[in-house]
Amino acid sequence: MGRFPEPPRIWPFTLIASDSPLDGRVKRIYEWLDKRFLATPLIAKAQRTINFALPSTLTRQNKSKILWLTYPYYYAGAITAFLAILQGITGLLLASNYVPSGVGDPGTSTPAYSSVQNIMTNLPLGALIRGIHQWGANLLVAALVIHAFWAFFRNPYRIGREITWVLGVLSLFLALAYSFTGYLLPWDQLGYWAATISIQIMRAIPFLGDFLAQLLLGGTGLSATTLTRVYFYHVSLLPVIALVLVGAHVVLVVLQGVSEPEEAWKTKIQKQVAPLFGPFFPQQILPVMIIALVTLGVVLLLGTFAVQVPGDPANKFLTPQFIVPEWYFLWAYGLLKWVGWVYDLVQFTPPAAVFGVDLLSAKVIGILVAGAMFLVLLLLPVIDRGREVRALWRPLKTAIGVWWIGFLATLTLYALNEILSAYLAIPINTTNAILGSIVIVLPIIAATPTYLILSHHLAKMKQ
Amino acid sequence: MGEKGSSESAKKPRRPIGRRQLVKAMVSVGILGTIVSFLSLLTSLLPSPQGSEQQGQADNVFRYGAEKGVWYSDKSGTEVNLADFDQVGKGAGVLWRGTYPAIVIRVDESKLQGATATNGLLAFASSCTHLCCIATWHLDRPNEDVIYCRCHDGIFDPYNIVNDAMPDGTKYQGAKVVGGPPPRAAPLIPIEIKDGKVSGTASNLAIYSYCE
Repeated sequence: MGRFPEPPRIWPFTLIASDSPLDGRVKRIYEWLDKRFLATPLIAKAQRTINFALPSTLTRQNKSKILWLTYPYYYAGAITAFLAILQGITGLLLASNYVPSGVGDPGTSTPAYSSVQNIMTNLPLGALIRGIHQWGANLLVAALVIHAFWAFFRNPYRIGREITWVLGVLSLFLALAYSFTGYLLPWDQLGYWAATISIQIMRAIPFLGDFLAQLLLGGTGLSATTLTRVYFYHVSLLPVIALVLVGAHVVLVVLQGVSEPEEAWKTKIQKQVAPLFGPFFPQQILPVMIIALVTLGVVLLLGTFAVQVPGDPANKFLTPQFIVPEWYFLWAYGLLKWVGWVYDLVQFTPPAAVFGVDLLSAKVIGILVAGAMFLVLLLLPVIDRGREVRALWRPLKTAIGVWWIGFLATLTLYALNEILSAYLAIPINTTNAILGSIVIVLPIIAATPTYLILSHHLAKMKQ
Repeated sequence: MGEKGSSESAKKPRRPIGRRQLVKAMVSVGILGTIVSFLSLLTSLLPSPQGSEQQGQADNVFRYGAEKGVWYSDKSGTEVNLADFDQVGKGAGVLWRGTYPAIVIRVDESKLQGATATNGLLAFASSCTHLCCIATWHLDRPNEDVIYCRCHDGIFDPYNIVNDAMPDGTKYQGAKVVGGPPPRAAPLIPIEIKDGKVSGTASNLAIYSYCE
């Protein structure tokens, strides 16, 4: 080959090797392309990286073998990536049939609303495509949440991987931005009012609120301008940001290797589990593909049989009953309500203005608490410098994590107070009192024994 | 940066500004200027004054709202008549000036504190002062005489009119917050009755624009 180096003997280069069944024509095509792109060294390097770097750390050093199927949460990241691709494909199809215009009288069918109706009823396979997009989004966030919680408890963000973690948290935020913008697009009552509440919450951000709302959403109230702008974010700006953020996240994971389960250290298990350490293709990608196919099946089923039809057209003069945001925003929604309930409980009336701004009202406190949570998550590699991977060996952190999950879960429940009150026929004040107490008590009840048992366990192990 | 370089050279005449320094300074200014001028394009994202939405009917007469399953449902969009409010406690969701959602209520004047009703009627802006959902009368809580917001359980008492102020300091009168998260009273809309039609008198529209 002269100045062209011999391609490495790993897939897909094995296809053009001299002993490949495809020898001949394929190889000639490859050489023709290679003379023009001069990319063989680069591709070969990338191939080696992907093939040998993925589970690179301890398993590799110890020549151990880990069956990834034993650790299903290891697939959450891959499933997220798979669903993101699915969202991209269905999103392209939807975007080419959607009209981003909310111009029209309140309560009447706007171009945006009727184009979604058109997708649902007239477009061939339109309802299925929209169903897949809808459920894909839900499952994507679910996979992402599992992925994030796994990462929280197994701290793969320890020294050397901090940026991977930060990029991941930003991607989580990005997914929520995608969801927020997507929820509004049908321009129906539910989306409209969920977005109205979100904008008003955004406006309450001290000092910056009104400016941010105007810059990002084209006004301090919801209008047709907002819809066009939100559509632009959803189909144009966010995808670019996502490619950069998620791309960098995945590249870092590939370069640094996956942070492995602690069992990788244990020789006993190494002998028991089937070999799965090996090249990216086919050993590692195979189980991912199996789970991706199962996920696809689930999305197809849900998208076919459980697609959510848009409600009444948006009417800015009529708030519908039971406005609920998507399930993964419920905790934030519940947080605002719950802070208000606590204020009522302790008979605290926040002053109208502190330093000239509304700073202590329930909604601002809610925003600040949610913002603080996000900030803590973002800065976790700096806050938590511990190097212990095993959650059971870190009593305090695991207990805090348990408290946090409990807090988010009970706030989610609190967000549904009106619905629960209506269905269980309990007066709203009683419902609030019960749910509000649960938010205070349950996370502590869950976290305290966790801490006590784990520290006892740790003390015993150290002896 | 260019100015700084030249002022330095003015102080130290022995070290005249070198060509390399000059080029560095000019390139820096150029890059900075390019960035700033590109950032200035972001101002196009701020809402333009002409681009804001058109005003609805600018007359002051209240028109019935679009709520379903209530006594005024079949009158939706028509003008509000005094005669419709024939008993105490009767109220309706209405639209004022084509823009502002409001509530008109027939109140028991003997219980009313802090204001006087016009022919027994009071009107309040019904955009919740919390997060701008539209509050309702007797819709979710038919047995309680409160203005109720279904989004976050905000409750306003139309019988207790208090003085309050908007974030910008504008003083106004409104229905007191008696429950839930709303930070301010629901603004009262002064009523005027002409030929049996109920309308709100526009004193200072800025008071009612908190959700725009």
